[in-house]
Amino acid sequence: MARLAAILKALWRAFQRGEKSFGSLAGNNFFLVAVLFLGKAGTFLFLIMGLVILFPLSTDPLRKIPASRLALWPLERREQWALRAMSPWVNPMTWVIAALALWAARGSVTVGLWGLAAGLFAAGFVISELRLPSGPAMWRRVPHFPGPLDQLVRKNLREMLSTLDFYCALLLSASAGIYRFAGPAMPREAFMAMTVLVVVALSSYAQCLFGLDGAGGWSRYRLLPLRGWQILAAKDAAFLLVTAVLVAPLAPLAGMGAALVALAMGRRPAVEDPRPQTRWRFSAGASPIYGVVEVMAMASAASAIFFTSALIAIPCLGAWLGSLWWYGRRMEARE
Amino acid sequence: MISCRNLTRRYGDFTAVDGLNLEVDAGGICVFLGPNGAGKSTTVKMLTGLLAPSSGSVEVCGLDAAANPLGLKRLIGVLPEDLGLFDDLTVEEHLLLTGAVYGLDRQETHRRTSQLLHALSLEHGRHTFAVSCSHGMRKKTSFAMALLPNPRVLFLDEPFEAVDPVTSRIMRDLLQTVARRGVTVFLTSHILSVAEEIATQVVMIRKGKIVWNSPAGELPQSLEAHYFDLVESPVVEDLEWLGSPRS
Repeated sequence: MARLAAILKALWRAFQRGEKSFGSLAGNNFFLVAVLFLGKAGTFLFLIMGLVILFPLSTDPLRKIPASRLALWPLERREQWALRAMSPWVNPMTWVIAALALWAARGSVTVGLWGLAAGLFAAGFVISELRLPSGPAMWRRVPHFPGPLDQLVRKNLREMLSTLDFYCALLLSASAGIYRFAGPAMPREAFMAMTVLVVVALSSYAQCLFGLDGAGGWSRYRLLPLRGWQILAAKDAAFLLVTAVLVAPLAPLAGMGAALVALAMGRRPAVEDPRPQTRWRFSAGASPIYGVVEVMAMASAASAIFFTSALIAIPCLGAWLGSLWWYGRRMEARE
Repeated sequence: MISCRNLTRRYGDFTAVDGLNLEVDAGGICVFLGPNGAGKSTTVKMLTGLLAPSSGSVEVCGLDAAANPLGLKRLIGVLPEDLGLFDDLTVEEHLLLTGAVYGLDRQETHRRTSQLLHALSLEHGRHTFAVSCSHGMRKKTSFAMALLPNPRVLFLDEPFEAVDPVTSRIMRDLLQTVARRGVTVFLTSHILSVAEEIATQVVMIRKGKIVWNSPAGELPQSLEAHYFDLVESPVVEDLEWLGSPRS
């Protein structure tokens, strides 16, 4: 029992230090927007919210112990079973789900809602147990691009495709796209709103463009004979390409304008305060206030382009170019 | 080819590298030795322009590392301490990236890539993502990236650690070959036997200060004996509980 207690104690400590999911939610623009609209939300938005909240929080704490180390420890079979059964309780979300179950039994929460929450949590738990590969074979098929930055752009695309932000945006874009072509007619303004929502879902990633490069990636950037703006441009190319595909069936020009604003505004935290990110999680951007300002700027730019004039895209482009030049220099000066 | 004057790096009150003066000639293999935390990697970072010195100056290939970092990067090849690899690129893609950003044409990049993959026994893993590679494969990839642009100076931070004996032999032969052709090699290592075999110049550092700097031929005794005398001696403590019957 002492062995088990010692392992659980270490696990608790490691989980507390490593778990950044709450922080990730606080800095995720889509989460902020979802909270703002919660009062008028339908089932769809609740489902998205459930995915946003429960997936990142449903990690299996036992994964903190390397499998090889776990296999080497002299634990008896019953101790291994006990560890398997007790370790999920290191994750605070397990307690929340259990409390929801109790309330559901008393009738305070519907069993259906509890079932949905427990299901989403369990799905995230199982997925975290599956040890998702970080380089699936299909990513080898990422297309090539002209110019010397080809491999960098491909790498950046692969990184972006391994965040949940992209899949959330894809879900929104696909739903709206299908509705546009197969559903009843909707006012065109609705597609502009959906466009903004798609870009908002991606925008936190613009604040942490280097989050999946790791320490090795940073030192390689500094060793390559490239200017700072070239490295940033390779990052932006991947971001803009993904955005272009997702907003194409909605309001493309407004979406691209919003994406340029997201990149320009996300530049400061991305370059000055690069935050390491976790694959298959939502991106954790800068502070919520920064996120709110960024979302407002993006929404304003998209609305102005959509309702006023396409020429508004020019200042968006100017802001993006300016940020590329300025923060490219900052990158070169950074140690 | 490499020249530094009073090179110093401080982190707050701690001085990692203290007034380092060093000259390495073209075609030399300078082995930079010292215990963990002595300032070796900090020195390499300053020589390659990754870290700005607190004071002093660095010149590599006649270029001031601080004033012309981009020009310097085009002339040197580096195997950094953390290997500098991207998880989302394969072994081969790392080399293709290197060729492209150093301005090699596509055909030449592919030719050199194939040769390096073959020479370093990396062919079987050429399509493996760096994140899935063993440490040895990652090190060989980073080493190949340093060689691919045919640099005039090579900086290698512990190149022989974690590689298999055959690859280690190949790497040593490659380094000696390029040095004979005039490329300057500056490397750190903890493997004294390998260092002794290839060095033309030996520099030892302790607590940020150089305690020995001479041509390899002028060492008064074996490298290992001299290292233990000057830098640190192994102290073997008797841990009485080790090997005794369990209580």
